[in-house]
Amino acid sequence: MIWSIAWKNIWRNKIRSFVVIAALIIGIFGAVMLVGIMEGWVAQRTHDSIYKEISHIQVHHPEYLNNEELKYTVNNYHDIISTIANQPGVIAWSARTKMFCMAQSDWSSTGLIVKGVDPEKEKMVSELYQSLEEGDFLAETQRLPSIVLGEDAAKTLKLVNWEVTGEKLDSLDNTKFSRSFKQKLNDLKGKRFRVEKEFKDSLEANLSDKEYRKYSGYLAKYFSFYRLRSKITITLPDTSGQFIYCTFRVKGIFKTSNSMFDALNAFVDINVIKKNSGLSSDDYHEIAILCTDNETALTVNDELKQKIADNDLMSWKKISPELAMYSDFMKIMDYIYVAIFLLALSFGIINTMLMAVLERTKELGMLMAIGMNKLKLFKMIMLESVLLTFTGGIIGMIISSLSIHYFGKTGINLSMWAEGFEAMGYASIIYPSLSWDLFIGIIILVIITGILSAIWPARKALKLNPSEAIRNE
Amino acid sequence: MKVIEIKNVEKIYNDSEVKVIAVNGVDLSFEEGEFTAIVGPSGSGKTTLLNILGGLDRPTSGEIIIGDTNIGKLKGSKLIDFRLRNIGFVFQAYNLIPVLTAHENVEFIMQMQGISKKERDKRTEELLKEVGLGDRMDSRPSKLSGGQQQRVAVARALASKPKFVLADEPTANLDSKSTENLLEIMEKLNYEENITFIFSTHDSRVVKKARRVITLEDGKVISDNKLS
Repeated sequence: MIWSIAWKNIWRNKIRSFVVIAALIIGIFGAVMLVGIMEGWVAQRTHDSIYKEISHIQVHHPEYLNNEELKYTVNNYHDIISTIANQPGVIAWSARTKMFCMAQSDWSSTGLIVKGVDPEKEKMVSELYQSLEEGDFLAETQRLPSIVLGEDAAKTLKLVNWEVTGEKLDSLDNTKFSRSFKQKLNDLKGKRFRVEKEFKDSLEANLSDKEYRKYSGYLAKYFSFYRLRSKITITLPDTSGQFIYCTFRVKGIFKTSNSMFDALNAFVDINVIKKNSGLSSDDYHEIAILCTDNETALTVNDELKQKIADNDLMSWKKISPELAMYSDFMKIMDYIYVAIFLLALSFGIINTMLMAVLERTKELGMLMAIGMNKLKLFKMIMLESVLLTFTGGIIGMIISSLSIHYFGKTGINLSMWAEGFEAMGYASIIYPSLSWDLFIGIIILVIITGILSAIWPARKALKLNPSEAIRNE
Repeated sequence: MKVIEIKNVEKIYNDSEVKVIAVNGVDLSFEEGEFTAIVGPSGSGKTTLLNILGGLDRPTSGEIIIGDTNIGKLKGSKLIDFRLRNIGFVFQAYNLIPVLTAHENVEFIMQMQGISKKERDKRTEELLKEVGLGDRMDSRPSKLSGGQQQRVAVARALASKPKFVLADEPTANLDSKSTENLLEIMEKLNYEENITFIFSTHDSRVVKKARRVITLEDGKVISDNKLS
């Protein structure tokens, strides 16, 4: 009956309890969403980094990472491949050559890391081919060999242009853009811009301030186009120490959430590299291995290390230590954020429970007089606080879990700050997530808050003298 | 049979600057089945004496023996448990738990005693019928009149099968009809079930019904009249 009394007591002052519960719901929703967004961010960064950039395990010649020279190719390639192929936990592997080159288009030049890959094997290890903004991932036969590069590298090489074409202008959404607005854009027809800023300056000159502020970002994206099939010349080192020039045609442009990766990396067919650089068919600088999952990869890495002694193996945690650190650090931060939110909320609960005890002094005195012992009285006040907190906590958790589930599918679009996020390697569309251990951890924290918040009011109740409390008016 | 015996009980309050002697060397004993009223002017020490008899207050000196137990020697939870099993209380302001029904209010005390649900329900129904509230068992206190609430309080006091019931001004908040009704019930319980009632009261109607009247003044017993 103590449970029943405690529950009924909560609803004596409905407005007060509703206010506390609402505060708990809003507070927990805020904390859990924040945590979910951070977790989603880190999970997404970890996924993108592993599945698009570094893979789970990399094998190199022991000297390669100290001195990334052409000659340091992996030792005993065929033995390694057969070991990897027989290793449980490995899904796929891709052997690559990797060179630091200069790339030049007709309009600009930049430094690139050119990776020679077998396109089909690379697709088994990397999801990069799914991130193509335009074009294909190396699959072609044409006179000039193909190259696939990142959007930022393409912008540097001025392979992204801006042009208001009649076709695109006609298909601009009529419900969003008026005829007079389109007329203003009509003046830009026929002009081609190689730099985004120049295009935006022209927009600013033609549109009103309000229109420019509202639509310039959208229009810059809408009227941009990639100059696929452009030629770029790569300066490659060969095994004799000479530099050779190799011309490629741009076949595809990818865009990941990491603008640094997009600015530096390009992919070409490995046969082209082998043919031009003098590397033999067994010469590879890097073998990227994909495992069933991130944790298995660590075990596989340890096991492969025992079997492959004359090469250097690195797991994703070693290749990108900040990923593991973020993941661990974020877990601690998650709990700290939730604890701070709950600490603030606990003052509201303490206040409510203190008022509840003070208002019921006479009744508590009566209960002690007729024989309710201190333990039961303590338990009753505790239960009231825990039930109150738990009610708000559970509703808050349900609402935030549903929101995280929903936004986990649709994503939260923060693309107005995309530049900043992508510079740090984070996606601007966030898919929040919440792991089960964190979910249960937060519920436990909510219960602990309820218990701790009740201690002071409950102690106050225990100190009551029944004969005085009964006479309280 | 002697239910309560108090020997040379004194209660002095030193809280304020003035020393107040609320109970001054009182010796009394109460037999089983008594229907006793403790009367006296305000500040004469009636409530303090009742609190001491019920173990809610400790005397400054003297002994209170209930049955075979000197309750002055009981501490903390033992004293609370002793009250639960031996003493019934009826308060001036009824003091029912507002969120519970009449049935639950009566049942609650038996639950604290660890009595089974079946037995609790049976006894609760019997008691509420006995005080004339068989048809209001599921009503909350706010839906009952003052007199009805006090009758629930009497049923609750009896639920634990106490050795005696202490009632502090039980009729002070009741109209004459309710007072009459309540006294009839308590008298009936006293006659038929030999339950010991000790009241503190100002109410002449209660005094008229009492078979023993103890008068206090300045914390001392100035008269103790047993009526046949």
